[in-house]
Amino acid sequence: MHGRPRMAPNPEDAAASAAKSQKLRSLQSQFLSFHHSRTYTKEALEISAKLLEINPENYTAWNYRKLAVEHCVKESESDPSSVKSIFDKELKVVESALRQNFKSYGAWHHRKWVLSKGHSSIDEELRLLDKLQKQDSRNFHAWNYRRFVAALMNRSIEDELKYTENLIENNFSNYSAWHNRSILLSELVKKKDQGSSTQDVLSEEYNFVRDALFTDPDDQSAWFYHLWLLQQTIQSKAPLLVSSWPANGADLRVSGNGCLGGASGLFSRLSSDLRRFPLVLFFNQNVEGISSLTVTVEASFITSKDLTWKSLSPKTSRFGRVWVAYLDISSVDLDYLNPQKVVVRLGHCPGIMSSSGLPLSKPFRLEYTIAAKPIETKSSGRHENEIFQWKEDDFHNSEGQLEESIPRLLYTRAVEDNDEAAASRWHIDTMTEEINHVRVLLASSDCKIGKLMLARLLMARDDMLSPYANKMAHSEEVLELYRDLIRLDPPHSHYYKDQSSLVLMQQLVSSRDSLLKHCFCYEGIKSSSIDGPVCLRLNNLSLSRVGSFEKLLWVHILDLSDNELHSIQGIEALQLLSCLNLRSNKLTSFSALEPLRSLKCLRALNISYNEIGSHPIDTCRYLVTSPLSHSAEISWNRDEDLPDGVDVENYWEAFLVFKDLDLVQLDIAGNPVADERFQSFLVKITPELTWLDGQKLH
Amino acid sequence: MESSSSSTVTQREQLMVEQRVFQIYRLFAEMPRSSQSFMLEVQRDSHIEYLTNGLRGLSPSFCVLDANRPWLCYWILHSLALLEGSIDDELENNAIDFLCRCQDPSGGYAGGPGQMPHLATTYAAVNSLISLGGHRALSSIHRDSIYAFLRQMKQPNGGFRMHDGGEVDVRACYTAISVASILNILDDRLVEYVGDYILSCQTHEGGIAGEPGSEAHGGYTYCGFATMILINEVDCLNVAALMDWVVFRQGVECGFQGRINKLVDGCYSFWQGGVCALLQRSYPIINGLDSSESEEDSDAGSLSSATSDVCEGEHAVEGTLPQADAETCQHTWEGFVNTLAPVNLNDIGDKFLERNAKMGPPFNSVALQQYILLCSQLQEGGFRDKPGKARDFYHTCYCLSGLSACQYSWSEDLDFPPAPQAVLGPYSNLLEPIHPLYNVVLRRYHEAREFFASA
Repeated sequence: MHGRPRMAPNPEDAAASAAKSQKLRSLQSQFLSFHHSRTYTKEALEISAKLLEINPENYTAWNYRKLAVEHCVKESESDPSSVKSIFDKELKVVESALRQNFKSYGAWHHRKWVLSKGHSSIDEELRLLDKLQKQDSRNFHAWNYRRFVAALMNRSIEDELKYTENLIENNFSNYSAWHNRSILLSELVKKKDQGSSTQDVLSEEYNFVRDALFTDPDDQSAWFYHLWLLQQTIQSKAPLLVSSWPANGADLRVSGNGCLGGASGLFSRLSSDLRRFPLVLFFNQNVEGISSLTVTVEASFITSKDLTWKSLSPKTSRFGRVWVAYLDISSVDLDYLNPQKVVVRLGHCPGIMSSSGLPLSKPFRLEYTIAAKPIETKSSGRHENEIFQWKEDDFHNSEGQLEESIPRLLYTRAVEDNDEAAASRWHIDTMTEEINHVRVLLASSDCKIGKLMLARLLMARDDMLSPYANKMAHSEEVLELYRDLIRLDPPHSHYYKDQSSLVLMQQLVSSRDSLLKHCFCYEGIKSSSIDGPVCLRLNNLSLSRVGSFEKLLWVHILDLSDNELHSIQGIEALQLLSCLNLRSNKLTSFSALEPLRSLKCLRALNISYNEIGSHPIDTCRYLVTSPLSHSAEISWNRDEDLPDGVDVENYWEAFLVFKDLDLVQLDIAGNPVADERFQSFLVKITPELTWLDGQKLH
Repeated sequence: MESSSSSTVTQREQLMVEQRVFQIYRLFAEMPRSSQSFMLEVQRDSHIEYLTNGLRGLSPSFCVLDANRPWLCYWILHSLALLEGSIDDELENNAIDFLCRCQDPSGGYAGGPGQMPHLATTYAAVNSLISLGGHRALSSIHRDSIYAFLRQMKQPNGGFRMHDGGEVDVRACYTAISVASILNILDDRLVEYVGDYILSCQTHEGGIAGEPGSEAHGGYTYCGFATMILINEVDCLNVAALMDWVVFRQGVECGFQGRINKLVDGCYSFWQGGVCALLQRSYPIINGLDSSESEEDSDAGSLSSATSDVCEGEHAVEGTLPQADAETCQHTWEGFVNTLAPVNLNDIGDKFLERNAKMGPPFNSVALQQYILLCSQLQEGGFRDKPGKARDFYHTCYCLSGLSACQYSWSEDLDFPPAPQAVLGPYSNLLEPIHPLYNVVLRRYHEAREFFASA
């Protein structure tokens, strides 16, 4: 549709144009009468050739010529030389048509048709292409035709690579040449099979692209190709289980009323629900095929078949990084002297696959025990007056106590393969070399793309060396790079800010010591049993995104207040979360809270002083990884009973989030949306709600 | 490699365009306010005059379009519809008569009377007649024979051929599927494997190419993406990568480029801007909003949910399996276990409008409007590719379509007028909203939809 010839620019040409047009009209009507009468005489063919020379867009004329060729070939069947001359004539017609408009679909298609008949010499074609590609090196018709011709004449991949090399040397900004290189190289790699020869090809290619990058670090074409090359290097990483809850080797203590771990008794009203508790599997990438067939669970009280696995990603996708199943222990007679052993195995049966089709890198085995707590807690029914307040005074940093609460085995590994490198020596060396080259480049220029590339390379290599993100050797340097980028490239500062937030999170959780600095005992609830529950406080860190949830699966209470969060994507992995503080962030809509819908234990939520309701529609959605992850609307059954007078129409997004939550306590003040009408709406749809903005409801 | 002191042709051309565009912006910034507001005005009357003249008698130099005349009709008529320009009865009748003469007795529309039917001109003719609206225009479309033509063009690999003996590409897929969808004749036979063909054209860049092996390109990305939505298979694409690709095609000039490291061009205001408009509303569109209930959401929190969860989950999975029977198996959302009601393919265009935009525009909408109004618009009427180029109807159509998409890019619901701050320049600049899947004016779409639903 695009690239059709434009009208003549000058009115002076109008007269000439009119004459030309008159001629065309007469040619057109003559041609049509020949076409309809199936006349394929020399004269008739000449008319159609003239017509096409002026108007290569006339696809009917191209078709007419195909019919004519077939007719003429039939007439002269015995004589190969006259057949050849018939086809050669066609090539000439196409060539003059292309001179008129070499974006003509019909002309290029006709040429392919002629060539595929096999009566013409192909050698001429490359010469023609050279000529045309010199005029317009980005013409995609020409590139498509080039690939067609190369395949037809069985030209070697190496020869074609050489051709792109020449074009790139002539103009290294020619992205089409780089693109064709990526197609050729993929073929080459496929042919060479896996192994060292593939690596040689890629290594050589790094050298080639580096020349271009150093010639002009600000030209984007080579960087796009470099990125593609890196993808080829990093890719093909098999899925890995990076963490789980419960962790391997954990000894879970369940109090008499069914509460788990540190948060026991926090809200006694949630006790009975925890007769079901989650089994969470966290992978390094999206996988599919987690089911009772691929994951076996052995315990005296349950069989694999009793478990239903669900991905915590959007349910429209078969893939997910985090999978959860709930174990029902309500019928189990828990005893403190006699712990129940649970063994989870995965990867023993095929079926777990990454989205690129790779199976799980190796089998995994997790083992943990569940027992009752030695001392019964007196749970005195409902504590109507319990309220979770995020007061500074209530938090204490007492390390001895915390040692107990954070799963000790978190940093010795969920799985016993600490020494396993995720990548081969070659992969790591390649990354190292690229890092060194980019550093050299940056020493002489303040190139933005280079800085971004260095940040990505450093992170990727750290990830290769330590797939469980326990060693973050370069996070300081990466954070510095992002700070530079925010300064140098303000239009994309949000993107850089998000990236550096994720790095910061990774840094915070990368060691037990750094994590402990952010863990506190909460002593605000007096009804709680022995110790105060542990709270992870990541407040006031200027975070705009949160991540590294694989290290935080054990968290019950999370404080993210006073940050700059506009998204909480990924938080759905924290299946034990019961109290969450998001006060003073930059959340702009209820749809940003969608990840909370999967948190069945969440009871206290503080979203006060955000920007919910300030924009007519969510402005940050496109920053999340997949726009398709939001499919909330379709999951609501209109027949569902609603209390009378619920204003679903106006608070549709809020309704979708809150109807699935069982909140006891909610703080929402300080948002544009939070008026009296909204409050009364909230009270109606969340019957369990006891505290709203610190006020007791009933 | 060339030495770093000498830049490439590509770089020099880019620099020239940037200088030209920035000069316009600089002049604009220094103007008094009154001239500024004039500069930002859509010159409605001039555009209407330019377009109407074009329709009245094709300028002689347009002879090259003798094989593409329905396109010319569409570019002009759609532009006029966007501007709410009226056409006198005689011109309207002439256009309908002309398009009737392009309609092939065996189905489809040709580029001109007596020529062969062609998918692209069929799309252009159908959209032209819908843009005109009214009983006479709509009833002139022979749907049965168009269906037969579409079936003839269908290829075993799922794609479509442009015309008998013609090329197979993503454009052909879009024009075929769009026509079938808007005429209410889309069925499984037309849809079969077309998604696989489009998938084979999505490149590592994220966008979609015209054919396998080619580069990602704005026009084809629009065509491929819209097709995938219309056949309900959009989740098979790597949408995150597509989003990344498209948003970075908007450059410092404020307009969009069509491919990586190419020059800005006003027509991509629609091709790329249209992809963005589609992205804002792209998430599963399934039939039976009322009947679908997810297992996850059933009375969460109640004690019984522990067990009912499991039962319902398994039931839902089994529920979809026996449907693999060819007759009854409509296209189900892949991997969507609880889609019990079959999707009516012909309802997707309508359902798409019911989906409110779920995010703001993933591009700078005001900046793009600025490029269209200051760099593409000609005060004497018409729009162009970039400063220095001549106006034409193609660019007029797609600059205006892109401008409309921008103006409504903050609107959750297209049926309501946008907020004043969403419209650059005076509010009188506001154009008619388009249906982003077909690129016809929304009002005309509704009229056609009603007409073909009852016909």
